Amino acid sequence: MGASGSGKTSMRSLIFSNNPASLTSRLGATIDVEQNHVRFLGDLILNLWDCGGQDAFMDSYLSTQQSTIFSHVGVLIYVFEVMSQNMQKDLEYYTDCLKALRKYSPEASVFLLVHKMDLVRAPQRRTVLDKKMRELKQVSGEMAVTLFGTSIYDETLYKAWSNIVHTLIPNVSILTKHLTTLADACSATEVVLFERTTFLVIATSAPPPTTTEPPQPISPPTVPSPNTSEGSTSSHRNAFSGSSTPFGPTSRTTSPPPPPVTSPLSSSTLDFSDDQSVTQDANGDPTPSDPHQLDATRYERTSELIKAFKHTCARVRDEFHTLEMELADFTAVLDELTKNTYVLVVVHNPTIETAALRMNIRLARKKFEEIQGDNVVA
Amino acid sequence: MATSNGYGSISSTSLATAQPQPSGDSSDNVIRTKILLVGLRKSGKTSIYETLFNDCDPKQTFYLDTSTRITRHTYDTAIPLEIWDCPGIIAPETLGGQLSQFSSLIFVIDIQNLLQEPIAKLVDWVAAVYRYNPLMNLEVFVHKADVLTEDYKWDAFRTIQSRVNDEIQETSEEYEQISVNFSLTSIYDHSLHESFSKVLQKLMDTMPAYEELINVFCANSQSSKAFLCDIKSRLYLATDASPVDTQDYGLCADYLQMLNSFGPLYRSATASPPRHRTVGALHSPPPELSNPASPIVPLSAISSASQTPKVQVFPIPSTSPTPPTRSSSSASNPQPEASTGRQQKLKNLFYPSASTSLLPSSSSARTLTYYLITPHLALLTLLPTSVFEDKRGLVEYNVVFLREGVQEIYEVEDELRRGG
Repeated sequence: MGASGSGKTSMRSLIFSNNPASLTSRLGATIDVEQNHVRFLGDLILNLWDCGGQDAFMDSYLSTQQSTIFSHVGVLIYVFEVMSQNMQKDLEYYTDCLKALRKYSPEASVFLLVHKMDLVRAPQRRTVLDKKMRELKQVSGEMAVTLFGTSIYDETLYKAWSNIVHTLIPNVSILTKHLTTLADACSATEVVLFERTTFLVIATSAPPPTTTEPPQPISPPTVPSPNTSEGSTSSHRNAFSGSSTPFGPTSRTTSPPPPPVTSPLSSSTLDFSDDQSVTQDANGDPTPSDPHQLDATRYERTSELIKAFKHTCARVRDEFHTLEMELADFTAVLDELTKNTYVLVVVHNPTIETAALRMNIRLARKKFEEIQGDNVVA
Repeated sequence: MATSNGYGSISSTSLATAQPQPSGDSSDNVIRTKILLVGLRKSGKTSIYETLFNDCDPKQTFYLDTSTRITRHTYDTAIPLEIWDCPGIIAPETLGGQLSQFSSLIFVIDIQNLLQEPIAKLVDWVAAVYRYNPLMNLEVFVHKADVLTEDYKWDAFRTIQSRVNDEIQETSEEYEQISVNFSLTSIYDHSLHESFSKVLQKLMDTMPAYEELINVFCANSQSSKAFLCDIKSRLYLATDASPVDTQDYGLCADYLQMLNSFGPLYRSATASPPRHRTVGALHSPPPELSNPASPIVPLSAISSASQTPKVQVFPIPSTSPTPPTRSSSSASNPQPEASTGRQQKLKNLFYPSASTSLLPSSSSARTLTYYLITPHLALLTLLPTSVFEDKRGLVEYNVVFLREGVQEIYEVEDELRRGG
């Protein structure tokens, strides 16, 4: 919801309908409510209600249609224009909507988007946004709200929406755990799961417990691993110089083991790292925060870049499928994981080949499809 | 808004007077090919320069100030360039004899400005060109084409073209010898890049050589199209002999832009290795690109793969317990001489590459590939996916030869320009 012309339908068009930002100017005013059923992650269906913001509609939402609009709401996203003409009116409508929401769907989470940030000149953006945020927080009273500054012309919109849908996905922790296992198997710095059509970030792998060093080889060789060679090289990187590991210097298994076995897996890794604590410390400060100092906006920027490129491909009537790159700073593979998701594997170890990463992704596919199959919307 | 990603070197010198310094003064003593950018006020010259060479977002050009002085920009790509961006009020007489040092003149006309003024100005420039430098390439960019719809665009284009030609004819018959090229451009799509690419290609003597290399490559790898592009500006400097499809070029340019933007996102402060494996004189110190303070451990002695002359370098920011067993290469004090390149010809063995597979719609599936050739140039090709998947090794083998060829040609040109 939001005032007329604040950008709700443009946002929806950009993220869910894959239209480029430049074409949003052609969108007309929304009449009453437009409903979108968006299939997200296969089984999760998002029922998006884009409510027209003109005064007549707003008045009707708040009076006659109150129970229709505000019941059974999971998330309320209220859009404010950063350079609004009549902020007072916006705030009035907002407080009214908030009251109605509290009455009919007290469990709903509220997100506030301060939109069209591109209209503010870059140096002033931070201050203007902070000021707006303070104002909105004050108006919201004791209701817990999350605020974002967004614009359809850069990656901030993806960040906001990724956060929003993140709260709706039921089994994020399981996904994270499995993504971390995949990251371990690939000696990757990071593994990110994207939804296929919108390219919003669903989950990412957890950063490794200590430093950036690739994790230790583990024993169960159920599947021959393509990572054998780099497994040995990377362990040599830790200067074990041939000392035999407790688990044997063999292959890494790539198919993540079924859940009961997972916990011994992680605990054994931890034990192992404790044994070799000398090496760990020697490898630089094991800061709990990101030792790589990767760009903080990388997720949403990736979403934005890939989405824009997908659109370019579509213009040439070719559909984007997969991407792999071996650049000077890292190696990455973006491939489809299940029929609804894409996975991005980022590796900083230069000895790892993209073909190996692809193979791991292929082997992990089955497991992830299984996880999603169990995923039932409440 | 000027970004330097280490690939191109860009410097701008704004000059106080309308008399720009002669070229011999340029700081790096290299003979540069000069391009002159002129046109009326607000026709879009500076935004053209900023969008192409300075990574400026087209929408941000709205905020550019009007130029008041002649600005000299240098830009290094396959050939070193010097681009002079002149404010609208400069008359041809101001430059006078200096016109003879330019290889190309680009006159920018705003497509909506159908009055007499730009055309009269253009004719003035034609006269000056005829007087001082009849061999110069004269290009006219009918700019801001995005403002009009498709039909009106081409109508206006043709109108301007015919009016200019008429005017030139009327002024003097001799001027007809000067060939003028017209292009329709806009900063919001790839038309500007394509037109400027064609301008650049005319200025490059080595272009036929590059083209030949690419032709051979395409023939041997079944690639449908290949572009040798400048990374920063995304202009294509050479392509194979088949006709250029604007959409294919647009796809490659966008791909390049995406890869450029992707690079910095995942650059790690600690673990990004300089992947420069080098083959060269034994015991030559490896080129050091980061962490000069940390000791470098050549791991080839330990690594299981037998790679005798190669030295793999990882910047481990701490001391390793096992000291290097071989080679006198000073682990603690690597010299970055290799980067000057002349004394020790170390061959880099790692070049970034990327590929994107596209699903088929009408015809067979294509893969778009990117191979870095020199620090300024990249090869972008469109291959059938089946070829790429089955015979990738062969394709990359061919790329190696293309790379060596391009580098040799580039070195020859470079030597020539440095006053060899």
